[in-house]
Amino acid sequence: MINFFIDGKPVSAQKGETILQVARKEGVYIPTMCYLSKVSPIASCRLCVVEVEGTEGFVLSCQTPPTEGIKVTTNSGKLFKERQNIMKLYDVNHPLECGVCDKSGACELQNKTLEFEVTSQSFSAKEQKREIKNWGRIQYDPNLCIMCERCVSTCNEAIGDDAIEVFYGGYNSGIVPKNSETLECTECGECIAVCPVGALIATDFKYSSNAWELKQVPSSCAHCSSACALTYESKVSKTTHKRELYRVTNNFEFSSLCGAGRFGFDFDNQVAAKNEKAFIRAIQAMEKADTIAFDSMITNEEALLLQKLKTLRGYKLVNPEAQAYQRFIRTFATHSGKQLYSADLDDVRAAEYAVVFGSRIKTDNPMVRYALTNAVKQQRSDVVYLHPMEDADMLNTVNQYVKYEVGSEEGVMALLAKAFIPEANLSSDLQGYFNELDEGYLSAESNVGEEEIETMQRRSARRKNRVLILGEDVINHPRSENIAKLAGLMEQYSDFKVLIVPPKTNSLGVALICDLDDTAGNYTLGYNVKGDFTLTALGASGEEELDMPALNQQEGTITSIDKRVVPLNAAVPYSGYSLGDLANALGMKLDYTVQLTKELPVSKGFKAVSFDSLENDFARNGENLRGYVLENQSVATETSVEEIADIGEFNGTVVYRCNPVLQFNAFTNKASQLKELNVLRGSSQFATAAKISDNDHISIDLGDGNITKKVFKLDTSLKGTIALLGSFDEAISAKTVPYAYRFKKTKIAPVGNSQ
Amino acid sequence: MSRVFFSSWRGEIVDNRHAPEGESAQTAFKFPEEYAADRPSKAFIGWDGFVLFQEDVDVVRLAMEYAAQYQVYSEACGRCAPGRWGGRILFDTLDKIARGEGELSDLDHLREIAQSMSLTSKCEIGKTVPTPILQMLEYFADDFLVCINQKRPSPHYGDEGTDYKAKITAPCMDMCPDHVDIPAYIEGVRDLRFDDSLAATRQTMPLAHTCGRVCPHPCEDACRRTNLDQPISIMELKRLGADYETEHQSEWFHPVERQPSIGKKVAIVGSGPAGLTAAYYLGMDGVDCDIYEELPVLGGEVMVGVPPYRMPTHEYQKDIDFCKSAGGNYILNTRVTADMLRRFETEYDAIMLASGTRISKKVRATNERTDMKGYWPAIQMLDQYNLWERHRMGEPIDLTGKTLVCVGGGFTSMDVVRCAVRCGAKKVVMLYRRDEKTIIRNTSYEEYHEAVEEGVEFIFQSAIEEIYDEDNQLVRLKINMYEEQPDPDGGRPQLVKMEGADFDIDCDYLVPAVSQDADLKYLPEEWELEMTSWNTLKTDGKTYMTSRKGVWAAGDCEYGPMTIVNAVGQAKRAASVMSRYLRTGKIELSDDEIMEDHLRKLKVYNKGEKVSGWLAGLPREHSEKLSVPDRITNNKEVNQGFTQQEAIREAERCMRCYYIAMAAV
Repeated sequence: MINFFIDGKPVSAQKGETILQVARKEGVYIPTMCYLSKVSPIASCRLCVVEVEGTEGFVLSCQTPPTEGIKVTTNSGKLFKERQNIMKLYDVNHPLECGVCDKSGACELQNKTLEFEVTSQSFSAKEQKREIKNWGRIQYDPNLCIMCERCVSTCNEAIGDDAIEVFYGGYNSGIVPKNSETLECTECGECIAVCPVGALIATDFKYSSNAWELKQVPSSCAHCSSACALTYESKVSKTTHKRELYRVTNNFEFSSLCGAGRFGFDFDNQVAAKNEKAFIRAIQAMEKADTIAFDSMITNEEALLLQKLKTLRGYKLVNPEAQAYQRFIRTFATHSGKQLYSADLDDVRAAEYAVVFGSRIKTDNPMVRYALTNAVKQQRSDVVYLHPMEDADMLNTVNQYVKYEVGSEEGVMALLAKAFIPEANLSSDLQGYFNELDEGYLSAESNVGEEEIETMQRRSARRKNRVLILGEDVINHPRSENIAKLAGLMEQYSDFKVLIVPPKTNSLGVALICDLDDTAGNYTLGYNVKGDFTLTALGASGEEELDMPALNQQEGTITSIDKRVVPLNAAVPYSGYSLGDLANALGMKLDYTVQLTKELPVSKGFKAVSFDSLENDFARNGENLRGYVLENQSVATETSVEEIADIGEFNGTVVYRCNPVLQFNAFTNKASQLKELNVLRGSSQFATAAKISDNDHISIDLGDGNITKKVFKLDTSLKGTIALLGSFDEAISAKTVPYAYRFKKTKIAPVGNSQ
Repeated sequence: MSRVFFSSWRGEIVDNRHAPEGESAQTAFKFPEEYAADRPSKAFIGWDGFVLFQEDVDVVRLAMEYAAQYQVYSEACGRCAPGRWGGRILFDTLDKIARGEGELSDLDHLREIAQSMSLTSKCEIGKTVPTPILQMLEYFADDFLVCINQKRPSPHYGDEGTDYKAKITAPCMDMCPDHVDIPAYIEGVRDLRFDDSLAATRQTMPLAHTCGRVCPHPCEDACRRTNLDQPISIMELKRLGADYETEHQSEWFHPVERQPSIGKKVAIVGSGPAGLTAAYYLGMDGVDCDIYEELPVLGGEVMVGVPPYRMPTHEYQKDIDFCKSAGGNYILNTRVTADMLRRFETEYDAIMLASGTRISKKVRATNERTDMKGYWPAIQMLDQYNLWERHRMGEPIDLTGKTLVCVGGGFTSMDVVRCAVRCGAKKVVMLYRRDEKTIIRNTSYEEYHEAVEEGVEFIFQSAIEEIYDEDNQLVRLKINMYEEQPDPDGGRPQLVKMEGADFDIDCDYLVPAVSQDADLKYLPEEWELEMTSWNTLKTDGKTYMTSRKGVWAAGDCEYGPMTIVNAVGQAKRAASVMSRYLRTGKIELSDDEIMEDHLRKLKVYNKGEKVSGWLAGLPREHSEKLSVPDRITNNKEVNQGFTQQEAIREAERCMRCYYIAMAAV
């Protein structure tokens, strides 16, 4: 602890904290333009200079840690004058187009120009005309750019794409795509968010609204289990006279958002009025139904409502995806001793050693990837990526790629557990189990060499804060139960913290709240899945469907990957019926669905707090104040593990269920900026093996009775004979088939070519 | 001492404007009076002031050209608001005055922007560019006022009679024998852009892993941060970029693109740091190289001299592989002979001699015979140790139960004693003629400290008088002790033998590691290559060509046993001169190299300078070292390197002391 003074006030700093960080913590204002809490100090704007008694000149507060006893002055006539001059320099030749600039009204250059009373300009330099760059969803206007470099640092340190860099050119400097003519990245759009001026903007938003016309509704992203904080911004359209969503913004200082959250916001279900006839048919269907099938794009409160309906009317609740997750974490719990996995995204950020197993994490959960990026940049952590397919976009992050054979996950898990659980921690039974493991066989069948395991052990030897991240490939594995047991042992007996990525937005909430059934009965009411009668937030069509509000049209909570219960708010109005209306018609008494927030099961770690008391923000020091974190309760343990089953072969053309960047579900695909065709993406090797070529129309026999027709696209970033097929267009059409293992042996046949 | 018309440098003002004939004052600084042979300089301007060597210098234009050079520099930067816009305004305003369109208010704007730049710029370059300009405004105010008041261009505005040669430097870069762009690679670490960091290092230094580990870092003695608190840990920060490349199994980060072959061939003798460096830069420049290596492995002394616990094989191999990625035909197990060299002269377009110094000198004791069992020259011992430990070639060394005495005081002797510890020796003794302070200065604090920790016994101010053997087996040494007596003339203290302090040490091995000689017997006698008094190959120290046209020499065989970075620096320069020679037939330096040599003479680092704009008292970071029990029985790398947070904190201490120097010729 270092004690010192800021403007006469005694303050103290932790090791590694800078003067600016302490000032912010203490609520002392030091102006900045380039500083961004979530990345290392950039130090380009120089506005944050302060005076230190006894030190000649100014000291840069953003990257200078204090020393004992120093007396810092954050404001003086001299400082004001120099900061004013910096603002004058920023204003030299900055186009006076605020009237048509998207940023106007929320522009940090405007704000600071006013703050430092720049009313006249004493400096001048030759003007230059520079071309606006159109990078698809993102546009860059170098004329407006002040070269703060926030975008570059964010892309490199917070996201990991490392897709843009500074073009060094002094007065002509600018931001350019790195190693490429045009921008090639995962399009998170975080560069737009962090831009203090109007230089980087969303193409879609350009010229559509002034900042001050937009109504802001803070909420949580509904697309994946990270449930990131975001703000929906809407206004009443002059053409449709309806409130429409214009964009999403986020607290970029302390959090990030992926492109699905940023660009895939207008998935709201616009309903003209309540459709009473459909409502009555829905009630009739509910009276007839013995099963409710649903997916995990659902709030905790609705999940609880379904559970209550089950109690009330004996419905079977069917959600195979959540059920697989539920089974996995329950089995995991019996072997770890805790109801929930212990790691969260902060643990990943702090990890010096991280193992990602069974997930194409870049698209499965972008926030996990961003957290890994943080870890690599800030901790120089070792990231091991175990998967049958390499991911070229992860090369910046991953430093050990371990390829295993499709299907061999159970064996790989056993090898990991054996490698990382200290033998001394285990009972003699378990010691015996691991000693008898046939490592030679497992290595040979999984293709994970002894050397690779040794490399992992060697590299991890001096690494603290180890994390094991488990993805959907193991959750939906035929041997998931034994994998969960072994993972639970890792959690209990090794120094690894485990994170089990929930496959869908609220898989964790549903898994904790609902008692799920294995199979459907005779008559199914589907909620966002196809049923005999279907409740849909994607827009009802036909007699057997009733509209429901989308997740950006209702209040409620989601249980995130961080085991955090975070609030959703209604960003746009919804004028149809909700699940609560149906429940009331069946005899329940609910004024609002969020009445149920405080009734979420305490036995599962939820708290009896009301919806309205949940915050959705970050503290000034970046502390996450959103909602609350589930209590991780102890459970009784057992230590039974099974023999590793024989590992089958996955030859031929294998298809991996995996969404492309920006897609998660039918709702992202409904968003106007994200809509795309779901194609099969494969390497040239795959094409050769399947005897197909780029743009071929093909039929894919998935072997489970489903034959689907798709277009094949050659993807040169892929290798090997596994192709990727998204599921983002399937949310409604999917029947309640078992949510199976993601890799499938397929039969592929061409049915034509579109070119 | 230089003759000047006017100079203002580091506070020294020499003003001969009104001095009577023959009474002009001189400056104490070594300014580049002569830019190159037969090319006198007209003026020199830099971060500390400016110098006019002649009366007829257009000062206004000089100021403008200096600001213009900052514009050129900032095309490689432009990363802070004051530097990016301020530099442009500085230049635009000076140019306006110089072309006769200035107004009096422009002088105020100049002073204002100059002050803002010097107070708030990110790097020293932005802070110091205004310095000489403000001095000109002060001492040559009239020249500016004439242009402004009479609306007249400056005397030589637009003339093409003068060349302005600029060079970016920094105290650390200047001191580094290889002039590595240190602030740039540290910035890469600070920015967490390790690819950029490594690319910056590799502009002049292909052995980034090596010099991020085992460089004695003379740069740190010229680190301006020392004036404030402690020098930056410059050397260790170099590791970050290289380790990143290795850890992420990336493709090689080359600083420039490789040129297509120009159809010229060079023979390189030796694949040590100098040979590898020459092969890399020549290869990247489109020159085909054959590299001849006597040993069965590449890498020279860093491979067979420096032990793995200081320089792990895997990492050095990365450096070697990187050098090989520029092409080059590497020929192992081939000792070059005089006949071969004669042939090379016709078969190749140029020859580079980089054969090092591989003969351990004798300790000059009575009964010192190289054929005595137990007499073990350091180079041979380290060859055997490293070939076994790194490549499992030859035989392992087992010193269990043995006593080994080493005579030395430099890095090689440290390697000997610490390897001996690792070979299980019962007792390891280091004899050194001078004191503890000197051994630390000659090596490093860490090296000495780690050797002591590992149990090496140091006997200072000692020397061997006689070696005793039994049946040609070395058994005992007679040691004399010395006292240091101050030299009345202020030179190095004299060593005076202490009477009655002699003693004997029983031992099994004596390893002389006092220094090495170059083995140059392979040179054709009729070439009559000029030698230095140290019996190394003589060059001019600038182009590194020997007395024979087309034959270059670099590294230890030129300089005598010196550091890796010295060898790399020489070889990099030699490669650059050779590459030009192969294209044009001329032996010449580039302007950048000429300025580099001038600045070296002038000295960029100023120990007495008071640093402003930085908070003092932030301690240097120290990386974790393996504990003694964890390291003495193996070859694990002792220095674990910085953690990321340590590296970032250390990089943030760097003040980026870039300067621009410019000569008007």
